[in-house]
Amino acid sequence: MDVLAIRNLKKNFGSKKVLCGLDLSVPEHSIFGFIGKNGAGKTTTMKAILGLLKSDGGKIYIMGEKVHFGKTSTNRHIGYLPDVPEFYSYMTSLEYLTLCGEVCGMDKAGIMTRSKELLELVGLGQEGRRIKGFSRGMKQRLGIAQALLNRPKLLICDEPTSALDPAGRKEILDILLAAKEQTTVLFSTHILSDVERICTEAAFLHDGKIAMQGSITELRNKQSSDGFIIETEQKWAADTLIKTFGDLQRTEQNTLVFHGGEDRFFSIMQYVVENRIPIQIIERIEPTLESLFLEVIK
Amino acid sequence: MKPLLAFMKKEYLEAARTGKLLILILLFVLFGIMNPAVAKLTPWMMEMLSDTIAESGLIVTNIQVDAMSSWTQFFKNIPMALIAFVLIFSDLFTKEYKSGTLLLVLTKGLSRYEVVFAKTLLLLSLWTFCYGICFAITYGYNAYFWDNGIVNNLFSSAAIWWLFGIWVICLIVLFSSLLQNNTGVSLCTGGTVLLAYLLSLIPKVKVYSPTILMDANSLLIGAESVDAYIKAVIIAAISGVICIAGSVPVMNKKQL
Repeated sequence: MDVLAIRNLKKNFGSKKVLCGLDLSVPEHSIFGFIGKNGAGKTTTMKAILGLLKSDGGKIYIMGEKVHFGKTSTNRHIGYLPDVPEFYSYMTSLEYLTLCGEVCGMDKAGIMTRSKELLELVGLGQEGRRIKGFSRGMKQRLGIAQALLNRPKLLICDEPTSALDPAGRKEILDILLAAKEQTTVLFSTHILSDVERICTEAAFLHDGKIAMQGSITELRNKQSSDGFIIETEQKWAADTLIKTFGDLQRTEQNTLVFHGGEDRFFSIMQYVVENRIPIQIIERIEPTLESLFLEVIK
Repeated sequence: MKPLLAFMKKEYLEAARTGKLLILILLFVLFGIMNPAVAKLTPWMMEMLSDTIAESGLIVTNIQVDAMSSWTQFFKNIPMALIAFVLIFSDLFTKEYKSGTLLLVLTKGLSRYEVVFAKTLLLLSLWTFCYGICFAITYGYNAYFWDNGIVNNLFSSAAIWWLFGIWVICLIVLFSSLLQNNTGVSLCTGGTVLLAYLLSLIPKVKVYSPTILMDANSLLIGAESVDAYIKAVIIAAISGVICIAGSVPVMNKKQL
């Protein structure tokens, strides 16, 4: 079953069309990477899912239940972490989670155990200070804790790692990976290495539509090998190869890159063998999401 | 009901921890003490100034002060306290829009009408509490120094002025749900009061304007009876309820 289904979602800001007929399905127990460049409409889509933004057309279903703008009943299935989560700075993290728990109707004992468990999970268990003194990474972690508090069916994270240093990013990704056991995760990002690291599925948002969607392996396979890297031992060897094969590109003194089909590659290899050209490395360029992304947004 | 109570608890905690509650209490206590103090000190001040006044040709005779002077002072000072109240709480909603703190609690399932109700109840209760303190302090001192018995319709006048404060709070709530920044909220609230005041200058409209609720002095000296205020009281109550009820759909349609 799809936890989230979006059908033909449209949204304009004035004359600017941000979303023009977006379709998206997020299957249960997946970590879904929602990829798009800055300003592509990722946050707009997420706010529409949460009923915080009025769409100009289309339908959104959470667990089969339709989302209405301004109403929050479908949000009981969702945990949301905005890109820059803002909390009541005069509260401590435990007080904040208590407020959230009471708002979603949890009982007192449940709130206490769940809050402590989550604060431990995100590494804020020993933190007694008020939120005012928290760093950005700590706020992000508290954001995840509040999002997971009522055991949501869908955890929506809006660029959770974009503003963090490498250590902070790793922590957040590890937490999201751990959260996979309990929930489905939809997270938007433009950091493709994060997607490759933890996501099981991904979709590319471009020009207001989903340009491509599928599991990470499927997406990778959509693109054939990008080519080969040939590194020669000496500069003259590289010079000879370039002279003979015009479609080789030089990236470093002894390194050549070749884009094209396998036939062409074998003819180069044949030339190498026949002329006994000393080669140091031959490497196939693995297709990456980054190259796919760049191709999609071209 | 539970989310509403939880959010109200948060509102009181916020008022306490951000120091707003302390400032308000100090302010209203100060005003409460000032009313009898100013009345008590008036003869002494006049005496000090009598020479200067005499030079300008006026002769200061024996000045009598009593509870009436102190209560007149109370109703002169309380508008300032209300203005301070409005300024302190003009950002009650707008601060949350700007910082985005509402986003998370709304996505947790808090309804938007509960946000409006919780904040309205906070304002109403704090106004009632602070106004009550101010009134009680002035009443206590007046009873100690003079006799509150000489004042007509004291409790009715106080209640009528309290209602005026409630009406202003309902305006704050309405403008807070309509507008994005606190300057706009203070200006529009002030502007509406001014408009109501200007309308009250038209003799036929006067009895309907909530601003006549501020004119407690005529009640105190017995020049007017409570009946003269009934229409304005009804208008203030109805328009107040409309403001709050109107804030809910406005809030529901607000893009956050």
